[in-house]
Amino acid sequence: MRTPIYEWHKENGGNIVDFHGWDLPLYYEGILAEHMAVRKRVGMFDVSHMGDIVVKGPDAVKLMNSLLPSKIDAIQPGKCMYTAFLDEAGLLIDDTIVYRVSNDTIFFVPNAATTETVLNWLQTNSKAFNVKITNLSRELGCFAIQGPESRQVANDIGIVFPEPFTFSFQQDKYGGKNGVNGKNDLIVSGTGYTGEPGFELIVDAESSNKWWNDAINSIKQHGGMPCGLGARDSLRMEKGMLLSGVDFNKDRDPYECSVSFIVEKLDGFMGSDALKQRKSNDKEIFRGFILDGKQIPRHGYSIYDNNKKIGTITSGSISPLLGKAIGLGFIDKKYMKSDNVVQIDIRGKMSEATVSRPKIVP
Amino acid sequence: MSNVPENLKYTKTHEWVSINGNVATVGITDYAQHQLTDIVFVDFPKVGETKKKGSVLLTVESVKSAEDVFSPVDGEVTETNKKLVDAPELLNKDSYTNWMVKMKVNTPPSDLLSPADYRKHIGE
Repeated sequence: MRTPIYEWHKENGGNIVDFHGWDLPLYYEGILAEHMAVRKRVGMFDVSHMGDIVVKGPDAVKLMNSLLPSKIDAIQPGKCMYTAFLDEAGLLIDDTIVYRVSNDTIFFVPNAATTETVLNWLQTNSKAFNVKITNLSRELGCFAIQGPESRQVANDIGIVFPEPFTFSFQQDKYGGKNGVNGKNDLIVSGTGYTGEPGFELIVDAESSNKWWNDAINSIKQHGGMPCGLGARDSLRMEKGMLLSGVDFNKDRDPYECSVSFIVEKLDGFMGSDALKQRKSNDKEIFRGFILDGKQIPRHGYSIYDNNKKIGTITSGSISPLLGKAIGLGFIDKKYMKSDNVVQIDIRGKMSEATVSRPKIVP
Repeated sequence: MSNVPENLKYTKTHEWVSINGNVATVGITDYAQHQLTDIVFVDFPKVGETKKKGSVLLTVESVKSAEDVFSPVDGEVTETNKKLVDAPELLNKDSYTNWMVKMKVNTPPSDLLSPADYRKHIGE
């Protein structure tokens, strides 16, 4: 599958890779350069592969509130939040951003690889609810503009910069339409997945390229650049943000994943009974790991305390800010304290690593 | 298009080799460095180690992955490129000037790829 921006990526030096069936740029200039552009200036990612699902109807809020551990009934229209779908066992199916559009419309963005799963999950569990579920994933483009200079980029392209976790519908000057409110608007959202200030544009596929070009021109003037999946991955890792399907895959609950903040309710949501049991029985927790050298701990590598296996790495990269290899993974809670020293088996050699909170780089 | 210099020989696993007398100089191809993305670490063999052709010579670590580099010859490691210890990113800039390992070979292999064959192998 291809996003509306595919041709641009190809013509502009994007190194295209297959990401869960999507042809997307891994990088243009280089992962590290793109990473630093976002930390110091501004960068833009084509995240059009991510899902776009609308739940509309009198029971929209009620349905989402019954499926999600967060208080969907308490968020105001115009606000969005990070949360996750759990299964009956209290395990994460997918993490997502949920938008409260109005009292009868919820919009959410699941991960690309899990869009179908989440859609089926919603359909299975919505039989008793008066809602209409629409998948707009192929009709909308999505770009994440991230970095300290992203506010100036918004000004340049005529967008009102949103506060974090708020969103608004703003007129699409290129005439694009969105199926969320059905008007000639694009959605401007104070979200991203880099830990930097920024915003996302969710825009009709038809006018996507015009918005992309406008934003790229502004970004280049501010010393920034287009960024690929590689930098997106290393940026989220420095900030300890989970990657669906990699850090968790229907095998972890929100407490283990260090996202207990998404569990805002005690009862009455999918997986809530199981979750209570799990909370007191969980043995492991998601943590960050900082190594001295540049040998990267990869997904699946084991963590040891001397000869005892105490955990597993789920993501690893270089932190360009620290100049060191970093990892994320799950470790026995007994060893979770920051500054504890553990060992990671990197292809047969033990490398020392310091435990940190998941947000490795403040 | 990847750079494939005419004066070198290649392997299907993306190493290049230049044999001069009984000294083989070994590195990775431009295509390989491109696939690897930003290289951050080279795990070199020790000088004096002997390597069989096709066995793991060293490991290159990039932001994306850790990949083995295979020995294109039977031989003994005589030198490693120390510049790459502190500046492995040089491999992304020019993977031919920045050789990785020198080896002493007795019998040079006969099945190395020509530049044209290597280009065909990588589909360029």
